[in-house]
Amino acid sequence: MKCSRCGAQIGNSFVKVNGMLLCDNCARSLKIDEVFRRQTDIFNQAFPSLDVFSLGSELDFSNTKIRCPRCGTSLRDIEQGGQLGCIECYNTFNESILKNILKLQGSSEYMGRKPGDRVDVELESEPVKTEVKAETKTKAEPEAKPDKDILERLKNADLGTVSDEMLEQGMKRAAEVEDYALAVRLRDELKSRGEGN
Amino acid sequence: MWYENEGNNKETVLSTKVVISRNIKGFPFPPKMSDADRENVLGMVRQASGSMGLNFVRTDELDDTAKADIFEQFFAGYQFLNNDAKTGYLRSKTEGLGVIINSTDHINIVSMVPGSDIETAYKRADELAVKFEQSMDIAYTDKFGFLTSQIQLVGTGMQLLMTLAIPGIEKTEGAIQVLQRRAEKYDWQLIPINHPDGTRENGIYVLKNVATLGITEQDLLSRAQKVQADIIKLENTCRKNICTKKKPIVEDQYYRSYALLRYARRLDIAEALTCINWLRLGQDYLDTSEADVDWQKINKLTQRVRRNYQDSGDRVTRPKDRAAARAALIREIIKGGKE
Repeated sequence: MKCSRCGAQIGNSFVKVNGMLLCDNCARSLKIDEVFRRQTDIFNQAFPSLDVFSLGSELDFSNTKIRCPRCGTSLRDIEQGGQLGCIECYNTFNESILKNILKLQGSSEYMGRKPGDRVDVELESEPVKTEVKAETKTKAEPEAKPDKDILERLKNADLGTVSDEMLEQGMKRAAEVEDYALAVRLRDELKSRGEGN
Repeated sequence: MWYENEGNNKETVLSTKVVISRNIKGFPFPPKMSDADRENVLGMVRQASGSMGLNFVRTDELDDTAKADIFEQFFAGYQFLNNDAKTGYLRSKTEGLGVIINSTDHINIVSMVPGSDIETAYKRADELAVKFEQSMDIAYTDKFGFLTSQIQLVGTGMQLLMTLAIPGIEKTEGAIQVLQRRAEKYDWQLIPINHPDGTRENGIYVLKNVATLGITEQDLLSRAQKVQADIIKLENTCRKNICTKKKPIVEDQYYRSYALLRYARRLDIAEALTCINWLRLGQDYLDTSEADVDWQKINKLTQRVRRNYQDSGDRVTRPKDRAAARAALIREIIKGGKE
């Protein structure tokens, strides 16, 4: 048997992590051996404390003991730099941890193309410039308003008498129909109420 | 230069960039690579790129002039160019298209186009990506997609960035916040450009995608187009509102800025950008017949002045008096000279 990291022959003493065999030296240099040593300590104690048992069962970012057996990257390294050291890191740091990190993206499901596949991406040809120019040069009013009622009411209302909910709703709606002047007025009103409190 | 060419919607979108990151199986990611690994990756990528019409250069062995040339033509960052680690660059015959080797990932394909042409930028980068994937063993799993050193890119491994000049939105109170919220709805981020020296580029923002998982390439690009269209529309509305409602002030600022750019003998970057922003703001909505400025000049000025911000590498040769050199360059552009 050979060590997966340094290639040296492995004797009787070795550590197996995620299917990789590591010699004593590599396990020590990656600080993986500490976790196993502490686990044997647990069995030698008659009444080990509960927190010792929890070691390694639930990974969190503050845990620096678990390192990638191939490159030595720890979870803390990843948390601090946002960078993984090698492909093996994706296996070493279990799914639940990666999911936490991938929460940033709102999804952890890959939906893109496969390697080497060609995907014909077609975008609508959008003459944005001419549309915008024509509109801004000729139209003084914003687009048609689907929620005409609420926006019309807010436009003509004394904002001091309008509820917070309606202001918020109106602000969202105004932003959606791109009536930014009204959106800003409503936001200022909400802001001033917040400051008043 | 490619970035000075006319692009769609260049009044608002200065450039569009697509970066596709790929890694080769069997090697650690660049931050953990040994010199031998780096050499191997350089050799493998060079070999794979043989039929792609790309020209290989070792960036760690380039002199300052050659680095400046790559920076000028391809916008490769000076941080990468001045990196002493064993890095490489594949230059394409197409300006704005190139491949960075051994930077954040083994392969970073960078495609930049002037203006808002997302489709062209993507297709150029993706064509190279597919060729690399067909000729090399690329790190990929069905679960996560393409594996990258940066967790936020795992999945498609693609980042789409648009550099936007939006002085109208910036000068409209609350509009930036409204826009940021709208961008977030589509999983995009609108961020100002801050520099390590604490300065900020007035009126210039970068719009970039957040999602690389849970979305197809087609959807990502379609969303990009929608967000982009929203921003262009909003910027034009804001410019028009400001120029209509505060015409005397904006007109005054427009011509003051023009005069300063046209005649000043020394200009620092922030002042120059502020002046260019006023020109950008009023160009379509004011009577500008007395100023010898058009969109091509405004965009050229913006790009040239911004490059001063970016060439901050230690080993960049700089004119002794940069403010004077900058002012001279600006005068030359406004006069319609070769620069």
